[in-house]
Amino acid sequence: MIQFLFKGIIRDKNRSVLPVIVISIGVFLTVLFSAWFKGIFSDMINVNANFSTGHVKIMTRAYADNADQMPNDLALLGAGELIDSLNTAFPTLEWVERTNFGGLIDIADANGDTRAQGMAMGQAIDFLTPGTREPERMNIPASIVKGGLPTQAGEALISNDFAERFHVKIGDPVTLFGSTMNGGMAFANFTVAGTVRFGMRALDRGAILIDITDAQAALDMADAAGEILGFFKDGQYDAEQALQVKTAFNAKYEADTDEFAPLMLRLNDQKGLDEYLKMANYISGIMTFIFILAMSIVLWNTGLLGGLRRYNEFGIRLAMGEEKKHIYRSLIIESILIGTIGSVVGTLLGLVAAFYLQEYGINFGSAIQGGGMMMPEVFRADISPESFYIGFIPGLLSMVLGNALSGIGIYKRRTAVLFKELSV
Amino acid sequence: MKNITILIFSTLFLFAFKAPPDANEILKKVEENMSSDNRVFESEMIIHGRRGSRTITAKTYSVGDKQSFTEYLSPAREAGTKMLKLENQLWIYSPSTDRTIQISGHLLRQSVMGSDLSYEDMMDDRKLTDVYSAKIVGEEVLDERKTYVLELTAKVEDVAYYRRKMWIDTERYVPLKEELYAKSGQLLKRTTLSNVQKIEGRWFPLTVVFKDMLKQGDGTEFRMTKVQFNQDIPEYLFTKAALKQ
Amino acid sequence: MLAIKLAFKNILGAGFRTILNISVLSFAFVVIIFYNGVLEGWNQQARRDTIEWEIGQGQLWHPDYDPLDFFSYQDAHAPLPEAVQAEVAAGQLTPILLTQASAFPQGRMQGVILKGIDPKQPILKIPTALLADQDGQTPALIGKRMAHAIKAKEGDQLLVRWRDKNGTFDALEVTISGIFDSNVPTIDAGQIWLPLERLQQMLSMPGEATYLVAREGFVPANAAPWVFKGQDFLLADLDTIIQSKKGASGIMYGLLLIIALLAIFDTQVLSIFRRQKEIGTYIALGMTRWQVVGIFTVEGATYSILAILLGALYGTPLLWYLAKVGWAMPSASQDMGISIAEKIYPVFGFGLILGTILLVVLSATVVSFLPARKIAKINPTDALKGKIQ
Repeated sequence: MIQFLFKGIIRDKNRSVLPVIVISIGVFLTVLFSAWFKGIFSDMINVNANFSTGHVKIMTRAYADNADQMPNDLALLGAGELIDSLNTAFPTLEWVERTNFGGLIDIADANGDTRAQGMAMGQAIDFLTPGTREPERMNIPASIVKGGLPTQAGEALISNDFAERFHVKIGDPVTLFGSTMNGGMAFANFTVAGTVRFGMRALDRGAILIDITDAQAALDMADAAGEILGFFKDGQYDAEQALQVKTAFNAKYEADTDEFAPLMLRLNDQKGLDEYLKMANYISGIMTFIFILAMSIVLWNTGLLGGLRRYNEFGIRLAMGEEKKHIYRSLIIESILIGTIGSVVGTLLGLVAAFYLQEYGINFGSAIQGGGMMMPEVFRADISPESFYIGFIPGLLSMVLGNALSGIGIYKRRTAVLFKELSV
Repeated sequence: MKNITILIFSTLFLFAFKAPPDANEILKKVEENMSSDNRVFESEMIIHGRRGSRTITAKTYSVGDKQSFTEYLSPAREAGTKMLKLENQLWIYSPSTDRTIQISGHLLRQSVMGSDLSYEDMMDDRKLTDVYSAKIVGEEVLDERKTYVLELTAKVEDVAYYRRKMWIDTERYVPLKEELYAKSGQLLKRTTLSNVQKIEGRWFPLTVVFKDMLKQGDGTEFRMTKVQFNQDIPEYLFTKAALKQ
Repeated sequence: MLAIKLAFKNILGAGFRTILNISVLSFAFVVIIFYNGVLEGWNQQARRDTIEWEIGQGQLWHPDYDPLDFFSYQDAHAPLPEAVQAEVAAGQLTPILLTQASAFPQGRMQGVILKGIDPKQPILKIPTALLADQDGQTPALIGKRMAHAIKAKEGDQLLVRWRDKNGTFDALEVTISGIFDSNVPTIDAGQIWLPLERLQQMLSMPGEATYLVAREGFVPANAAPWVFKGQDFLLADLDTIIQSKKGASGIMYGLLLIIALLAIFDTQVLSIFRRQKEIGTYIALGMTRWQVVGIFTVEGATYSILAILLGALYGTPLLWYLAKVGWAMPSASQDMGISIAEKIYPVFGFGLILGTILLVVLSATVVSFLPARKIAKINPTDALKGKIQ
């Protein structure tokens, strides 16, 4: 019978085209809405995670106590080994080293003497490992004003304002003068590979971004890192899983009384993000529910419309002796088919659109400022497992419900008045 | 009659106790003892950090108080780093980057190699007698040496420390301890000098421990391992060009 | 007029489905207002807080002062020009002096900014009255973030070391005489507020200031070389962020509105289909087709009016309640250096409500018109027979 109904749906455009279109649009919007909604609510979380907290973060206990001061003398030692063990123990996360530091950027004149110098905040991330996701995570490619990402050791990005103030061009050498992990003098030459707009005035004034291996060499931090951040490989923060990871990791060091033993914090544990996450989940739950409800009403309408449109057809079928139960059942199965087709089409379209918005986002900033910056002004959708099924709820359910409701009318019809109604 | 008695007693008094020397005189003697036309010394600086200690060795050439040239010898990372001080200017040269960086303004207040000393602490080259007026506030025995306790109060405005207290060996005219105070009277830093040796006819403390009293930690130990006075130091050493050699 | 009467009758006659349509649309209506209200509330709160706590009606800067460059602080101070002194005496400006210093909470050294402010100043909301003289002690005021960072509480002593204008070290224990709770991180994190005269004396800079904060009604006169920075300049960062947030939430409620409009569209299609005979009758009775299109369009648009009424019915108390209790925000967002209150109190302005009403009515009218257009092509005879598929 399904095959028969399917043929009917395909051949009778009236029965199929409009409902499928409406359902597709509705499902498309539902999927897109839920992904977008999740996207903007997780925006703040992602910014924090990507820039500073990670999904989980490991520091030494002593470092964690004074984390505001970037105390690299308290950095994690044996970072490589630690990362290896983390990769084994928690393969669902990607582990990266980061080091924050402060220093002086000194620009030489022709004789190698100081021409200009300025204080800078520094951050070292993984630029060079093939396939590294760190620059994207920090939204660096989008915020480059001139030049490009560092492609080899010894290259650096500096803030665009700084470069302009001191007339530093791409390819120019700059010297970083800071303090090593041990308090010694750190000197390192870098070639400016590009300039960046951060969108935060403090950083735009003076900042330098270098590869983590360069930082380790320059700051005498061989195999050391200020922080190790863990990111779930699917990019989505999962509080429950993060808690498990954190508990498992910290349990290993529970007995260790060393103030330099590693300590793992979850995103939730940092900067009051817990409260925000709870609220975001709650609100997005409510919003999505209401949206689905609204969408269901729309699609229910469509179901009703379909039922009503075929008032005459049902009359004829009844007149020809088809059982009411049978017509009703065929109507429901048909609606399931249409609902499924519409939902699949809509979900696919929705996913494509959401994916586009996830990858490229919509930039609300450039309209105002005329240029990208590191602070996100690009808002993105966020595809979650939910995106794959959420559209089916309004798509299938309300279509079927709408048809089921309008189909009840079939039982109310009396064979005696059929011919009068049909005015044949 | 009464007057005569007083006169006799007071005369006796004068003979019995040598008059304590003038505080500024003592300071002058200290300066004469400690400073020389030039000196060359090798040193070890032991810096105590939260994660253990580091030792940095260096060789320093100085002429008067105004010019000094230091080359770091170890650890390997710092080896070859040179520091040149001329009057109130300071340059650091690093061989790894082949760059000479001028340290000025705010940077001078940074700690040197993570020690309890700032660049600025090393830059102050004025004679104590020019900057402070001194008075003797007592005598104390320190490490079995008799010392005058001098209190120095700034007589010019632009000094880093408004008040100092120095414990000066009464025989050798070598300071054994020094405390640096804020205007408010708060103790800021304490320097202890020890291992006083006679070198080329003068007494000289070879070990100095600096301690920032506001910070936790064990301070920084500075040991001179080889001191020579009045050497022939080539003039070109005190030029920026010498940094690169 | 006839069209509107008919429209109401028809719509109300449609019963349950009408209610559903109206509910959806009214919901979109309320959400749009709510969202914009929150953003506007945030904007206003952030501006208000920043103005009240930090920038006043603008600031008069020492020419060398650059808030982002700590090192500029060392030179950015001077005695006030005479004209400025007069303004200070008149209560139009309050001077603030600042310097870099170190604090030693629990024996750790931490860089801080000391800021001197007149305890009797009436311009900023910082509770400077707490800096009033306390027998011999030096009172200090810190914000909650600073208090958290250095683990200090009221009554605690904090050792501070600084250098006066000659570079002479000085140090002192200050007594935390109060901890203020402000949404503005830029007057809190890493800062210690002291009585102005005390700080001037500590730095040997009598009568000097780094910048001055203006009171409402202050007219910036030429105080060269001091530079007046207006609110526009000082609030620029905030404006950028609010703008981009507005864009992002616009997409969201745009989608919601589309859904609601889809419902109306759908209903229109349905009703035009079901009411062919009615349409045929209208035309047969002499109405032009476009008149009938008008009737149906108005009918669709009427949904929006009913939706607005319904939205007003439940939205007013709901939004009023939210405006009263506020909307919690995470403290994390404050780390960005932008003022965000823990709770945002939405502000629903007249313009916002009117604009949203217009948006809803216009868009509803357009989507009602689109399917109704079909009527213009209808063959009245077929319509009368109900034979249009």
